Formats: sequence, structure tokens, C-alpha cells
Amino acid sequence: MQKFWSILFGATMLAALLLFIVAPFVGWWLPKNVATFGGGIDGLYYLILAITGFFFVLTEAILVIALWRFAGQPGKKSVYQHGNHQLEVIWTVVPGVILLVLAIVQIKVWADVKFIKNMPKPDGTTQQMEVLAKQWEWRVRYPSSARMAEWASNPKAAEDFGRNPHLDDIYLPNEIHIWKGDADKDNKVLVHLKTGDVIHSFFLPNLRLKQDALPGKTIPVWFAVTEYNLEADPQSTEAEPRWKEKDIWELACAEFCGTRHSMMRGKLYVHKDKADFLKWLKHAEAEQDRHAPLASR
Amino acid sequence: MSVGLPHGAEAHKHPEMSFVRKYIFSSDHKIIGIQFLFSTLIFLVIGGTLAMGVRLQLGWPHADHGWLARLLNWPKSYGDHMPPEFYNMLFSMHATIMIFFVIIPMLAGAFGNFTIPLMVGAPDMAFPKLNMMSYWFMWPAFIIILIGFFVDGGAPANGWTSYPLISSLTMPVGAGFQSPAGAGTGYGQICWLVALLFVGISSMMGSVNYVTTIINLRAPGMTFNRLPLTIWALFITAILQAFALPVLTVALILQLLDKTFNTCFFLPPGMTTVGNWHAGPGGGQTLLWQHLFWFYSHPAVYIMILPAMGMVSDIIATFARKPLFGYKPMYLSLAGIAGLGFIVWGHHMFQSGMDPRLGTGFMIATIMIALPSAVKVFNWLGTTWGANIQFTTAMLFALAFVSLFVIGGLSGIFMAATPVDIAIHDTMFIVAHLHYVLFASSLMGIFAGIYYWFPKMFGRLMNEPLGKIHFVLTFIAGNCTFFPMHITGAALQPRRYSDPLQYKWLESLQGLNIFISISAFVLGAAQLIFLVNFFYSLFWGPKAGRNPWRSNTLEWTAPSPPPHGNYETTPIVYRGPYEYASPESEEDYLPQTENLNGKVAGTQPVHH
Repeated sequence: MQKFWSILFGATMLAALLLFIVAPFVGWWLPKNVATFGGGIDGLYYLILAITGFFFVLTEAILVIALWRFAGQPGKKSVYQHGNHQLEVIWTVVPGVILLVLAIVQIKVWADVKFIKNMPKPDGTTQQMEVLAKQWEWRVRYPSSARMAEWASNPKAAEDFGRNPHLDDIYLPNEIHIWKGDADKDNKVLVHLKTGDVIHSFFLPNLRLKQDALPGKTIPVWFAVTEYNLEADPQSTEAEPRWKEKDIWELACAEFCGTRHSMMRGKLYVHKDKADFLKWLKHAEAEQDRHAPLASR
Repeated sequence: MSVGLPHGAEAHKHPEMSFVRKYIFSSDHKIIGIQFLFSTLIFLVIGGTLAMGVRLQLGWPHADHGWLARLLNWPKSYGDHMPPEFYNMLFSMHATIMIFFVIIPMLAGAFGNFTIPLMVGAPDMAFPKLNMMSYWFMWPAFIIILIGFFVDGGAPANGWTSYPLISSLTMPVGAGFQSPAGAGTGYGQICWLVALLFVGISSMMGSVNYVTTIINLRAPGMTFNRLPLTIWALFITAILQAFALPVLTVALILQLLDKTFNTCFFLPPGMTTVGNWHAGPGGGQTLLWQHLFWFYSHPAVYIMILPAMGMVSDIIATFARKPLFGYKPMYLSLAGIAGLGFIVWGHHMFQSGMDPRLGTGFMIATIMIALPSAVKVFNWLGTTWGANIQFTTAMLFALAFVSLFVIGGLSGIFMAATPVDIAIHDTMFIVAHLHYVLFASSLMGIFAGIYYWFPKMFGRLMNEPLGKIHFVLTFIAGNCTFFPMHITGAALQPRRYSDPLQYKWLESLQGLNIFISISAFVLGAAQLIFLVNFFYSLFWGPKAGRNPWRSNTLEWTAPSPPPHGNYETTPIVYRGPYEYASPESEEDYLPQTENLNGKVAGTQPVHH
């Protein structure tokens, strides 16, 4: 009967381990990553999983074995031992070194994603949008196609987009549209994140991207994608362009913001290239009746 | 035979007191500790029930709850679905109650009060009347937090973290306190702020008492190096409380002022309208709340685990019949956790808009705090190795603490890593971590403590077979409830979502979520076994002797329960608390006050 406890602990821990092993194979795992920096984040996740998995198995096994081997017997006396200095040093220094190394190797990954100095500059090639989080929607502001053309020849004109709205900007709720550009040319996206009321959080699981939106601040967020999810629909026409969603990538709010916090759903649409994106943008301009380009305003 | 010095109960005679002075307005630390215990057990039931509501919604987000809708008067606009604002209230109050009205007062108030004077050999706390006040200051908190459920606008529904701006917006004079920004931001939020102020003041009074008693009232021979780990932990926790609580107190007052007096501590300049309503001039910083709140609330999580760690050390040594492995590293690591605990609060704010360069600093400190925790786990394992383990219910819960704290501690490393936190912040992964350290560790440590000290508190034994059934069900159902949350969290399911099924990427997780909910219902039901055992044993449990567990610490030399003044004569301490299996004794234990050679304390070779 005394050995039963070792079995109970052991079986439970084994079940936990098995769940982690089986989960990726049944689709209960990290969503698909399409961000360029996502690989670094996922790599760190797997490194930590390996280290913690090892120590989980080690410590639980020792405990389960101890509960089995040293289950009490009447009349028996334990080992009269108060500690072991050498062991204390080993099991302080070894985990300490592992933890320190873990801390150091990850500094660059964080800096690459979040430090402003590493973010793409608003220089005409960077894709830009402003995302205004409000209860309970994402209101996205895009530059017009004419403005984007102006940026190509006059990069300095792109600098004020986050600060100043323009009369010909396009507003759309709950849709993030970008295009998959060429690496290190025009694939970087700069989002100017704002909130119109309470704290929200801009969360794209497929990009491993999350940033809280703070009242009173505009916070820059950047990313670049490795894939697109919109391809031309065969029924697409010049007047009515249509796209097929190859893959669904969603946008969610990740900071509690009130009653409909769980219903602030958006979608990420990555067009195949800039031409497709412009086709979509011009159609949106036409729909919103924004035909008169007001450059430099 | 101990040579006692004349003191103790004789010098401390009272005229026979009324029932009210003895059991209600008592200054006896044991009565106060038991008062804390009963009050917090009631709140444990309330907090647990709220959790059942949370899991009901997460398991079946689109279900019709006809009879429940009628009973709770849900607005008809949602049909018979659970309104999102109701769900938001459920998780907000579940956490608030569990943290401030169960775990903290149970560990510091109930166990701190009951054990400290007994285990250091004192007749009572240093300030018995202050002690009585610290319990009675909880009563306004109890009443006000419960009133919050019934006021206009209902209980707070914006998370136990009550972030501005949703919680703190001022309304125009005469328009009440409820802001259109959030449900449950009205009188309920005022109740929350005021109730927590009372909890904080009660805790600070307790801290003063515990620190003074431990430093000044130890019995002769009870050096710091002979203190049981329970006392070390409660001592360090009391210092943590004393330094951290003033900051929470300030934060609560600032938010109260923002809500009631139109101050703008948390309202930034330039937001003349918030949503569709006028906000006022502003001039503050929203992030200020988060810094103040987490500067307290991070040490608070160590306040919620350190005492349990101390108790588990004592319980494991007792039932392993073996000295605690690594006494000095064990109290040094408690101090290390507490000290480091003051410089990691920013890890709750990595994605908050705080300068990410600060995030790097907080990341390093947070990752390092895993080290003293790991040292403790290894020492607990070392204690069981070569032992002669007695599997009482208390021991089982203490062992479960160790086993499940490993999981909680390891999962913390993922979120300490800032890049991974970008993905898993505000997901179920965090919820999994916090429940492993708070439920599977702290609360199981509390159960261990209750089963262990019940005979000393009430003079009767709890029923062991029922205790073991409670343990098995809690252990299995608890793991079935919280372990799969690591998986749903790895899949990035957000937390605080009344309806995860709004998202295609979360649909495939619903099977797991249903499994979690059913496990949670089993877990909740299993606690009824504990409650039945507890209350039945209070009146009809078999009578306990002084030392049913054959333990070494001082409280087991007093009668069960100890009289007012605790010890007939002042105890004299000859050795440390962990002299189990000592070659100096024929028994497998050797109490701290056992005088082997007729020598006076302090002249013998010091045993650690």
C-alpha cells in the first residue's frame, strides 16, 4: 500500500509528459509562424522546453524513486544526515550557469523585436499603417496609393504618417493588409499603435507579435512576413478584385478591455506582392470615394 | 525532564473571561489564528464557486443556461447565454478573493498567528491587542468586498489587476462611479479599493507583530539557527509584507482619488475624450498604476508561497523521520527569493509599453530567481532520500507541493524569457503557471498545514482515510484541470476571454477546454470531502494527545489545544528542530526541548 503513492505521483507526471509529447501531433500546439523574427522566438521556446523538460523528468523521477524506495517501515531509522556541502555547491552553480547563459543568449532576440533603434524607419520603402484600438474594434489607417507613390520619390514625406492623418488616408476596421515584399527591401511593416480609450493589446499569434496600446501614447511595432495568404481569385475582375484566403491569420486583443474584449477579432491579409496590394488599395479607395489625391497634405 | 524557569501561565493570570472576550474579541494568538482560518475557509468556498462559473463558460461558451439566467437575473439581450460582463466579473472576483481573502490571510493570518508564538516558545505575540485589531480590521474588508456583489453595477469586472483607464475613469459629479468604459467599475470598484485597503492595513499590523515576536520573544536556547523553517519563512514574509504593502496602499488611494475626486494620476494628458465621452484634462500616466501595483503584487506572490515552503519543510522532515537537508541553504534561499522578488516586478509589464530596455533588466533578475527556488526543490528531494517516509495526509500534500511546485517554477522560465513572453503573455500559459504555484503549491501547502496542525489547534484528529481520499481526488483532478492549460496556452489561447470560439485558430482546442472544465468540477466537488472532514472532526474527531506526529518542534510539547499562555513553564531549547533519527536518542525523533544530560541550554555542543 505504501508503494501506491510513488505510483500515483509517477503516473500523474508521466501523463503530463505524454500530453506534451502528443499535443503537437494532434494540432494542439503553437500556431503557424509567418514572421521573420518568429523563428528566434520559437527557437527560444523550444530551448527552454528542452531544458525544463530535462529538469522536470530528473526531479520528478528522483521524487518518485524516493517515495518507492524509502516508503516507511516500522522500526527502521532514516539516514541521520543534515546535508552535503558539495551537493549544495553543484546544484547551485550548475543551474545558476544554465540560467545565466539562457538569460544572455536571448537578449538580442528581444532587442531585435522591441527596441526602437532596431525598427524600420518610415522612409518610403517601409510599409506603414496606423492601428487605433478602440472598444471594441481595430481601426486601421492606410496611406492612399497616391501618397505611397509620392513616398517612392520623396522618402522624407513618409516620416510624419504616424503623427499626422491625411485627408486621403483610407480607414478600415479589423483588417491588416500588407504585402510580402522582398527581403530587406520593402518587406518591413511599421505599425503606429494607438488606443482611443482604454489599454488594448495588438496580438497576432501567427507573427508571435504582441504590444499593448497605451492611452496617450503612440507605440511603434514592426514585423516582416515570410509568406502570403491571399492569392488571386479566378473570378476576380478589374472592377471587383477578389482574393482567396489560403490561410487564416487572425488578430486578437490581448489586454482586458471590457465587455467585448474577446470579440475584438481582426484578420491579417498578406498580399502576394505590391501590385496585388495596390490593386486592393485602389479598390478600397474607390469604395470610399477617395479619388482626388491630396499629396503632401 | 526539562528544567523550567518560573514563568509561563502562572504570571499571567486573568479573571475568568466571558465567552465574548475568550472566543470573539480575543487577544490570544491561537484564537485569532483560528478566527482567520474559519473566515478564510468561507472565502475559499466563495472563490472556488466563482471558478466553477468561469469553467462553465470556458467549457461551453455558447450554451444556454436557462435556469441560471433566471436565477441571476441576466439581461435578456444575451438570450440565455452567460453575459460577457458576468464572466468578466467571475474571473475578476475569483482572483481577488483567492489572493486577498484566502491565500494571504490563511498563510500569514491563520498559520502565522497560530504557529509563531508556539514554535518560538513564547506565551503569546509581542502585541496581543494589535493582533486582535489585525483580525478585526479584516471584517470591514470581508463585508465590503461582499457588498460589492450586490451594489448597483455589480462587483468589479476588470480583472483582479484593476488597470486604469478602464477601472479608474472619473464620471461627472452626480453620475455615480460607473464609467461607460467598463462594467463593474462603479460602486463595486470603490468597494474593491476600500476592502483591499483594509486587508493591507491588517497585514501590516500582523507584520509588525510577527517580526517583533520572532526577534524578541524566543525562548532561552532558541537561537536563529534553531528556528523551524516555518518561522524563518513567516519572518521573511512579514518583512516582505511590511515593505511592499505601503506601495499598494498608495496605489489604491490614488485610484480612489481618480474615481471620486477627478484627480488624474493615471489619465494621460491630451486624451480629451476617451471613447465617446469627455475625459478631463489629464496629466498623469496610465503605466504608473502598473508599476505601483506590481511593485506590491510581485512580492505578494512570494508572500503567498514562502510560508507554505516553510511549513512544507517542517512537515516533510517530520514524516520523513529525517533531518531537513540543507538547513542553512533553505533559509538563505527563502531570503534570496524575497530579496530578488523586489526587483522583478517589471516582468508583468514586458509588453505593456514600458521601455523594452527595462525589460532586459527585469528579465535577467527574473530568470535568476529560479535559482533559489531550484535549490529548495533539491533540498526537499535530499530530505526524502534515505528517509523512512510516513504517508500521512499532511505528508502527501507536502510532497505534492514539491512535485507540483517544480512544474510551476519551470513554467515560469518560459514567461521570464522576454521574447517568448511576447507570444505567451496574457494567454492560458500564464494561467497554468499561476495556478500551479498558487493552487497546486500554496493551497496544497495550506492543506498540509491544516491536516498537520489541526490536532494542536482543536485537540482532535482529522480522519485519515477521508484525508487520503481528499488528497487523491485533489491531486488527480487538480493536475487534469491545470496541466492542459500549458497546452492551450502554448497554442496561444488568450486569457480573460468570455468567448474563445470567436477565433478559428482556437476552435480545435475546445475538446481540451471541456476536459479542463469537467476536471475542475470534480476538483471543486472533492473539496466538500475536506470540509466535511474538517467540521466533523472539530466536534467528533478522536481526541489527540500532545504529539500525535512525534514531531520535534516546541508546539508539540504543549497540550492540545494549548491553554492561554501556551507553556506551563518557559521552554528551554537544546537543539535544532530536525533531530530525527538522531543517534543520541532511542526514538526516531528528539524534541528541541528534550534535556538529555541535565545540562543547561547553551553549554552543550550546538546541534543544528
